[in-house]
Amino acid sequence: MTLIKNNSVSGDAWHHHIAEQGLPTNHDIVSLAYWLENKTTLIKSGLILGLLVDGNEDFETIEGELTHFSLIAINFPTFADGRGYSLAKSLREKSNYAHEIRAVGDILPDQALYLTRVGFDALELPTKEHAGLALDKLSEYSVFYQPEIA
Amino acid sequence: MYLYNEFDQTLVNERVEQFRDQTKRFLNGKLTEEQFRPLRLMNGLYIQTHAPMLRVNIPYGLLSSKQLRMFAHIAHKYDKDYGHFTTRQNIQFNWPKLEQVPDILSDLASVQMHAIQSSGNCIRNTTCDPLAGVCADEIVDPRPYCEIIRQWSTLHPEFSYLPRKFKIAVSGSPKDRAATEVHDIGLHVKKDTEGNIGFEVLVGGGLGRTPVIGQTIANFIAEADLLSYLEAILRTYNRFGRRDNKYKARIKILVRETGLDIFKEQVETEWALLRGKKLTLSKQAIERVKDHFNPLSYDNTNDNALEKHLNTSGVFRQWVKQNTTSHKQAGYRIVFLSLKAPNTPPGDVTDLQMNHIADLADTYSFGELRTTHDQNLALTDVKSSDLYALWQQLEKHQLATPNIGTITDMICCPGLDFCSLANASSIDIAQGITDRFKDSAIDTGKISLKMSGCMNGCGHHSIGEIGILGVDKKGEQWYQLTLGGSDSHQSKLGDRLGKAIAKEHVVDAIDDIIHIYKLNRNDGEDFANTLERIGLQPFKDKVYDAH
Repeated sequence: MTLIKNNSVSGDAWHHHIAEQGLPTNHDIVSLAYWLENKTTLIKSGLILGLLVDGNEDFETIEGELTHFSLIAINFPTFADGRGYSLAKSLREKSNYAHEIRAVGDILPDQALYLTRVGFDALELPTKEHAGLALDKLSEYSVFYQPEIA
Repeated sequence: MYLYNEFDQTLVNERVEQFRDQTKRFLNGKLTEEQFRPLRLMNGLYIQTHAPMLRVNIPYGLLSSKQLRMFAHIAHKYDKDYGHFTTRQNIQFNWPKLEQVPDILSDLASVQMHAIQSSGNCIRNTTCDPLAGVCADEIVDPRPYCEIIRQWSTLHPEFSYLPRKFKIAVSGSPKDRAATEVHDIGLHVKKDTEGNIGFEVLVGGGLGRTPVIGQTIANFIAEADLLSYLEAILRTYNRFGRRDNKYKARIKILVRETGLDIFKEQVETEWALLRGKKLTLSKQAIERVKDHFNPLSYDNTNDNALEKHLNTSGVFRQWVKQNTTSHKQAGYRIVFLSLKAPNTPPGDVTDLQMNHIADLADTYSFGELRTTHDQNLALTDVKSSDLYALWQQLEKHQLATPNIGTITDMICCPGLDFCSLANASSIDIAQGITDRFKDSAIDTGKISLKMSGCMNGCGHHSIGEIGILGVDKKGEQWYQLTLGGSDSHQSKLGDRLGKAIAKEHVVDAIDDIIHIYKLNRNDGEDFANTLERIGLQPFKDKVYDAH
């Protein structure tokens, strides 16, 4: 997995938490289900956590949880499922979420630019080669009809 | 017409280079077919039965002669010397080679054209009244708003992976010539009592497997709020539209399953957050686009010469009556070029014809032309004193068949001959109907016949006064007939006549239907009115007793 953060390849301070392997530690990204099940404990722990949600998750469900997280990862079950784009944009523009929003799952280098245009500032690509291509794709357009993300 | 500035041109040029790279990576095996598919579709490229098909946008149906000459060039250089005009203001090339498509797109970009989002699960080409700006009944010219929507929807980052395709049509007249009621969003430009411009917004219309007439979701959205309101609808659709079944993924199903009231609440919740922000259109922004659509510089003229010409030739008189219509400017007429000549598939034009039409547009109609929802072309600003000379030219190039609005002016999809979705052929049925009715079409009067080769409904059969739908029955081609559909004023879906009819009997069945109509019609009564008065039964009896 190679991470692009703010338009360059970057090291990754975060880990995807696997529930079967025990309690999360600092900079773990936990699933929404795990979070909801262990919310009280996790809040008490004071850990710095990220939240993993599917692109089709209800915005309304996530909205109330945002203050607990320093990162939101949105999963794309397939690259053709565009719900994650609207979710990211809503997090930025409705909730003014200012921390990292990361695209994970089935994303293609050719989608990198649109993803960053709706508010993703981090993209998890499967390989270095994919990440390199995605970076090239970020500068394919110099003009846009739509306004910048707020 | 709208002319690209440097910004628009840069975007289209960058799109060409992007697709060139994507095509190269696909051909080198770096992109799988599945990954390349949405990318090529969003550049108008389908893989069809025989070859790729490239669909090029003609934004709101307006073309310059220069652009038409480029279509002729593309048809000649990359295709088999013809192009096919569709019902949604596109042209399709049926035989390009995949590796040449980036070059075609580059040629198109050189005349300010593109194929961006002419296919795929994204916002498609926004269509409009082909008579915008010239028809006498217009409230507001819809074209500037279409251009504004074109720009907003082009490469929209949030709405490029929608559940399904999304089509918007705009009309600025009481008479709907853009089939707005069967679009995902239909917009009717109107003025409030103070003269402010706004839009009635219809949502959830569509044809295809489940034809639905759109419903009004908002009575008046001010022009400043147009884009924020559209964005709110699109976001609601992107979030909640079904993705589990592609046949239930259009917004019409979402609206039906959610209910219009709840859907409207969802849209308004989104809109509350978007309204009054960056997407708000300023007066200046609107004016800037409107400046491109100022009225043409018409001469002060009259119909005296035309009156004289009308007396010299009966054939010319017939053509004027059938293929031209009134213009808002005295002394001018709107001229339709029939792309439904006998022996030609509906909507097809050769490269030679395109070059001739471009010349005629330059000579007689300010160098511009339009494509219509009925797969014809129009020269919209012709001096009536020039009609006779123009008619003679059109006759020479098989573009003056006097059949506009008649049974042989049918809408027809490419069908099984080209399309990989089709169940049945449509072009040969169209040919059979043309052969049968070519001499009696004018006498038969105004009638809309629409035909699709499968239930995806590209030929709009469900809103034809006579609709023909090709179906597959155990490997054989059968045809389902419907009567009484309509796509103007109050859109209406046709009623099924009865069980499907075998291919060899379809033309006879149409003949039977026309026979019953002629037998029952009152003086000057159109097919639609006779049908409404006498009902389906007499037609049913005749068709099914006979076959």
